[in-house]
Amino acid sequence: MASVLEERREPAVAPSLSARSRRRSELTGPDRALGAALTVAGLIPTLALAFLAYQMVKEAYPAIIFNGWHFFTSKTFTIGNLYAPIQHKRGYAAPHGASYGVLPLLVGTLLSSVFALILAVPVSVAGAILLVEKLPQRIQGTLGIFLELLAGIPSVVFGLWGVYTFGPLLSRTVYKWVDSLGIPWLSGHTGAGEGLATASVVLAVMIIPIIASITRELVRSVPTVAKEGAVALGLTPSETVRYVTIPYVRTGIIAAAVLGWARALGETIAVLIISGNALNIYPHSIFAPFSTMAATIAAFLDSALTDPTGMAVHALAQVGLVLLAVTILTNFGGRLLTRRFADQALPVGRGV
Amino acid sequence: MSEQTTSAVTESQARRPEVTTVGPPVPAEMENPVFVVENLDFYYGSHQALRGVNMKIGRNEITALIGPSGCGKTTFLRCLNRLNDLIAGTRVRGRIDFAGKPIYDPSLAAIELRRRIGMVFQKPNPFPKSIYDNIAIAPKVNGMKVNMDDLVEECLTRAALWDEVKGKLKASAFSLSGGQQQRLCIARAIAVKPEVILMDEPASALDPLATIRIEDLMSELKKDYTIVVVTHNMQQAARVSDRTAFFNVDDSQGVRTGVLVEMGTTHQIFTSPTDQRTDDYITGRFG
Ligand SMILES: Nc1ncnc2c1ncn2[C@@H]1O[C@H](COP(=O)(O)OP(=O)(O)OP(=O)(O)O)[C@@H](O)[C@H]1O
Ligand SMILES: [Mg+2]
Repeated sequence: MASVLEERREPAVAPSLSARSRRRSELTGPDRALGAALTVAGLIPTLALAFLAYQMVKEAYPAIIFNGWHFFTSKTFTIGNLYAPIQHKRGYAAPHGASYGVLPLLVGTLLSSVFALILAVPVSVAGAILLVEKLPQRIQGTLGIFLELLAGIPSVVFGLWGVYTFGPLLSRTVYKWVDSLGIPWLSGHTGAGEGLATASVVLAVMIIPIIASITRELVRSVPTVAKEGAVALGLTPSETVRYVTIPYVRTGIIAAAVLGWARALGETIAVLIISGNALNIYPHSIFAPFSTMAATIAAFLDSALTDPTGMAVHALAQVGLVLLAVTILTNFGGRLLTRRFADQALPVGRGV
Repeated sequence: MSEQTTSAVTESQARRPEVTTVGPPVPAEMENPVFVVENLDFYYGSHQALRGVNMKIGRNEITALIGPSGCGKTTFLRCLNRLNDLIAGTRVRGRIDFAGKPIYDPSLAAIELRRRIGMVFQKPNPFPKSIYDNIAIAPKVNGMKVNMDDLVEECLTRAALWDEVKGKLKASAFSLSGGQQQRLCIARAIAVKPEVILMDEPASALDPLATIRIEDLMSELKKDYTIVVVTHNMQQAARVSDRTAFFNVDDSQGVRTGVLVEMGTTHQIFTSPTDQRTDDYITGRFG
């Protein structure tokens, strides 16, 4: 890159060697040291991710061979009978009856996180815009502090709140009403509120502070003169939000949503508490108990460690690998989306 | 422009911009003003930015607001479409009538008013949308029943932008140059068929060629619109405006406040101003 630029700046005649080396040497010691330090610092996250992925693959490898496609086609996840004779397959041993199927967990992870996102994004965006555009500075500050506090609450607290208070409350009220509408898949036994719906709502509450606080900063950064342009045309405040504020912050909201999504995908303990921990079935309604990849890893790890063949731990690592892959994929998907929207509307250098 | 001197004129006249406004000269007294401003005081919190402004703005004329930085030109312009309402803690005293109705009357809806008064800002501020949408959004939300494609073409043509963008109407407005964006903002303003267009230094960020285009455009638009334009450029005021209002900072009462020093036809202001401060300003002796 640098050499290309240099080439262009040189006159058409063959550049003298001394002129070139002089330019090189303009980079002094401290500059070079800074450049090297920045390069290393920039590489650290990449290297960490690569190392993590490598370790996960290594740990999961026996399970990958043992399971074959069964991993992605089976509904059943059980570590088998640890006291029965051991079974062998493709050179690897596992307890009798062991079956490692990720599919219901993958479905549970995707459903709960997507539902959480569907709930959280509109609430966050509307809340952030209201906060910035409608409320006086002083109240804005106070509410902002609460938002940040909400982001810092440990997820186990959310889990307990969901299972003891919020879930039952929703079950008695909102779920009852939704159930009474009789829409397929949106009706069913609502129970004590444990299950997919409550987990999604609680996940939404957990990621709202993330998405809302990023959106708030984005909304604040919309230039006043851009909004005034709309107002001066006789647009109402809500039209101004629609045609100026939202287009300005759209790519940033996508990035914030992806961040929130990653959090919801990987959330473990809260989901474990609220999910009803149903294994080996797909949720037959939005109120049904279910489980996710992260929650299952946490739930199974103890007993997996007692598996004398060690295959259960390898299988959990394989589940973790899938979770990692899903997270990375959503991230790249989000990146593509932001790029597309950035091309469409935003000024050069804006967006995330 | 101002260099057309003969050896006979005085030094101060030598620096006077020549008035070359297009169209017939305007009468000294106007019959049917669009705006009548009486005793306007304006405050940002406790800071008084304007004091006792009286002004009439003539229909289908270009009125230039000139004066040194900080004298309240922008503040005054933004009073005319109540855009200052958006700034917390501002206060207006006195009276502004638009088309015979007091605009600061609580019963008058500011949104309705702003649909009748367009504005072009110092910095181009198109919607973060396509070129087409930039024109179409306001007519659409205002419920104008028109063929939108025709309206877009008409407005872009009037703003002297059509030939440059007709092949890429779906492209982002931000893909245009600064001067093109500013003409797009003018096209956007005329799309809602306002009666008045307010312009706050519309050419200050543009190169001389783009500036000339905007000025030509203003002279062209004068047939159908009333234009009020803030400018720092004396030559520009002399080139395009029919009337000129000179604002200045006054500290005779102990605080620095914007006042209207004098207003007259551009010809009168630039050849025989009645106030010494005006003469000093337009001949470049201060400000
Ligand atoms: N939003 C604001 N809050 C407080 N004071 C303001 C605000 N905007 C302008 N002022 C003050 O009001 C006075 C007039 O400002 P204004 O912007 O109207 O001047 P101007 O004549 O347009 O100047 P310029 O030629 O530099 O644009 C200045 O003293 C300025 O500091
Ligand atoms: Mg100004």
